[in-house]
Amino acid sequence: MSGTTVVRPAGYGVVRAGRGSFLVHRRSALVAGGLLLLLAAASVAYLCVGERFVGPSEVVRILLGESSPSAFVVAELREPRLVAALAVGAAFGIGGALVQTVARNPLASPDIIGISQGAGVVTVAAMTFGIGSYAALPYLSIAGGVLAAALVYVFAWRGGLHATRFVLIGIGFAIALRSLTTLFMTKGDYLVAQQAQIWMTGSLNGRGWDESAPIRWTLLLMLPAVLWAARAQRTVSLDDDTATALGVRLGRVRLGLVAVGVVLASVATGVAGPVDFVALLAPQIARRMTRTAQIPLLCSALAGAVTVVVADLLARRLLSPVELPVGVLTAAVGAPYLIWLIVRSRTAGGNA
Amino acid sequence: MPAAFPSRRVLATSAAVVALLLAVLLSLTVGARAIAPSTVLDALLHGGTSDDAEVVRQLRVPRTVIGLMVGTALALAGTALQGITRNPIADPGILGISQGSSVAVVLAIAFLGVHDLSGYVWFAFAGAALASVAVYAIASGGRGGATPVKLALGGAAINALLLSVTTGVLTTRASALDEFRFWQIGSLDGRDAGIIGQIWPFLLLGAVLVLSVARGLDALALGEDVAKGLGQRVATVRIVGGLGATVLTGAAVAAAGPVAFVGLAVPHIARAVVGSDHRWVLPMAALTGPVMLLVADVAGRIVFPPGEVPAGVMTALIGVPFLVTLVRRKAVPA
Amino acid sequence: MSSRLTARGLTLAYEDRTVVDELDLAIPDGKVTVIVGPNACGKSTTLRALGRLLRPAGGAVLLDGEELAKLPTKRIARSIGLLPQTPVAPEAITVGDLVSRGRQPHQAWWKQWSEEDERAVTDAMERTDVAALADRSVDALSGGQRQRVWIAMALAQETDLLLLDEPTTYLDISHQVEVLDLVRRLNRLRGRTVVLVLHDLNQAARYADHLVAMKAGRVVAEGPPEEVVTAELVRDVFGLESVVVPDPVTGSPLVVPGAPWHAEVVR
Repeated sequence: MSGTTVVRPAGYGVVRAGRGSFLVHRRSALVAGGLLLLLAAASVAYLCVGERFVGPSEVVRILLGESSPSAFVVAELREPRLVAALAVGAAFGIGGALVQTVARNPLASPDIIGISQGAGVVTVAAMTFGIGSYAALPYLSIAGGVLAAALVYVFAWRGGLHATRFVLIGIGFAIALRSLTTLFMTKGDYLVAQQAQIWMTGSLNGRGWDESAPIRWTLLLMLPAVLWAARAQRTVSLDDDTATALGVRLGRVRLGLVAVGVVLASVATGVAGPVDFVALLAPQIARRMTRTAQIPLLCSALAGAVTVVVADLLARRLLSPVELPVGVLTAAVGAPYLIWLIVRSRTAGGNA
Repeated sequence: MPAAFPSRRVLATSAAVVALLLAVLLSLTVGARAIAPSTVLDALLHGGTSDDAEVVRQLRVPRTVIGLMVGTALALAGTALQGITRNPIADPGILGISQGSSVAVVLAIAFLGVHDLSGYVWFAFAGAALASVAVYAIASGGRGGATPVKLALGGAAINALLLSVTTGVLTTRASALDEFRFWQIGSLDGRDAGIIGQIWPFLLLGAVLVLSVARGLDALALGEDVAKGLGQRVATVRIVGGLGATVLTGAAVAAAGPVAFVGLAVPHIARAVVGSDHRWVLPMAALTGPVMLLVADVAGRIVFPPGEVPAGVMTALIGVPFLVTLVRRKAVPA
Repeated sequence: MSSRLTARGLTLAYEDRTVVDELDLAIPDGKVTVIVGPNACGKSTTLRALGRLLRPAGGAVLLDGEELAKLPTKRIARSIGLLPQTPVAPEAITVGDLVSRGRQPHQAWWKQWSEEDERAVTDAMERTDVAALADRSVDALSGGQRQRVWIAMALAQETDLLLLDEPTTYLDISHQVEVLDLVRRLNRLRGRTVVLVLHDLNQAARYADHLVAMKAGRVVAEGPPEEVVTAELVRDVFGLESVVVPDPVTGSPLVVPGAPWHAEVVR
């Protein structure tokens, strides 16, 4: 072996800046670049298409601040909703990745540990009893999601967080809360049921700057935590004993990772409703593209954003003038791609 | 202490049988109209034309029998699926099989004008079958065949896809939602004896298939290589077990709608009681499943009189505390 | 004889079952210590406690006189390296990536890969002869290769104390000897303190400076192998009749088990 000139660990490049040094997985960097281009293309397409088509070059000029007759449609109507879609997609991508990492289960996502159902039951209950204005509903559902996840964590904790116990208790709570939701829906009035059904599918309809403010602020405020998580995630992918031997404080790291994931997923749910399949699909798509040992957070966020943007574009135009809820189409966009990745997978795939 | 273990299992299994008998009795006697056990027995054995006897024979007996069948079917299906995928959260719901039924039923309601329960049955069946064929086809593609991870993920992907079809139809066709939202929860209410006749052959077939691979599931739990080393044909076990689970799920969903939770929780409860040997776990699950469903159904009849809470809702509400306690007490396998 | 790592009145239990009771142990610095004993005697449990994987139910493990349970785990990781009995690698991880995880305790968010990390990982991989496998997936390795990769990971941690739980399991005889020779070389050339759990008494006698024999959660005998390994000890600890002869190669004690079904050959 050539010794010192070989850069390890294999597949990683090292970026040095002053006294700092950062590991970059090369394939992940390429995938992230590709996803970024795709996201840019999807975003421009999103701004072009609508009741009235606006040319891509004009869209770019409007984004750069030049005046145009279409400026109102693009910048005032379509852009805020695009930003909401981007933020929600990225938040679900990261939230799902973190929950899957801690749960050590590729099926885990915010709807497995009760976040979506917690948000759902609070929202539907509020609708049924007529409490809470539309301005308050997102905050109620955020609270519901965080509360449900916290309960699951407390009940699953017994001298440590066992991954299987965590998902089992999570799924138990999730089903119980969903049952409560359905109870409200069947006991309630038909109009409430339909409204609740739309909320529970997830929709970006009418989400403007004000509506997407919570998720935008959360993403910004959580950025340091997400950067920490991206690194910390590497360490919890080993088994408990080995990780402890390497000096990882497993209990705290796991709690931290879950907390970041839960907050992001809850706020995203509050803004757009439970578009939770994004949270399940995006991390798995990202991981299968990058072929890393852990779920790549950045790629997961980008994959989530691409999925939601494309899905919402289709949701707006597919049955135009009727707008479908975006949740109907996120799975339709993401699932076939995941299926394709599974079918052509080259690794044998280990145990979950 | 190998001698102590079988006796514990026998004891637990007998206890489950007793619990099942009690649950059946409860289901026959309790309701909007409470009927004394002696009257029930009289109506069953000697017939009679009193109002009580009519209620027992026309309403309570079919309902109880369907509860028994559905509970057994879902519990067996869940046990088999968790064994095949080696994933503790696998169940007919998460793997998309129930969702296959839902899609078929929604499409039948929205586009074919099918509006009664007995009409749903065949659609529910066909949907479950198509969904699981799709899941298996996806998972067995690529290198390494149908590994547990690929089965689980393929199931989740199909589930997602089908759910989006279901919600797509429901959000655009309001009338279908009104009908479907009641079916979707899962309930034993209003099922007549005809449905029993429609589904029992499938239930029998599915149960035989699943029970026939009990040894294979034990071997699979030790890992694919060990299973092969023990002389099990891994692919056969997966296909036969999966087929059995599909038939059982199809029958159960056809009869009662997609009742959640039984398929997920009962296998864990059964394993906590009798250990990991599938030749004990499967019968135990088959006994515990109907107990849970019948007790939930009975509770649903009496909590908010005069209305009823559907069994699908009550199972989760009653079962979750059980599951949480058990999971916290037991050292669950990773 | 100085000891950085010691156990005082150590009691270890899983749930309510006590496995190790009031154990006192001092790991001599700069020596190879081997813990032997029959299955389920508590030897692996003791090693786990020495590496703070198991919290003592009573007593304490001390590192440089400080209680292990009160030290930050990352600081312990810079002094004690530990390889569990059955470590699990993340799916699809490459050999190079896994070995580099051993540098974890020396890294920080802003210092993810230093020259020092590079050197330690390269060194560890060359020592264990896995450098050529760097880009291979761990899933695709043979049992022996995988074990060497894990040892490389523990070596890359570059700690003064190294605890290995049955590192020769899964290895053929030549790789077993290779791993144990590697351990000896690390100890001789770099002065590392090594604690091994082995179930092969002869390997233990051959490679240990200090032998600890355990039975039913207690230390039955400890000291240099020549003094500790006797026919009486083997009978007491393993319940086996045997003859102890000098190893023809090293001169260390060699246990030749009796053959009850063919007693006349031995006696």
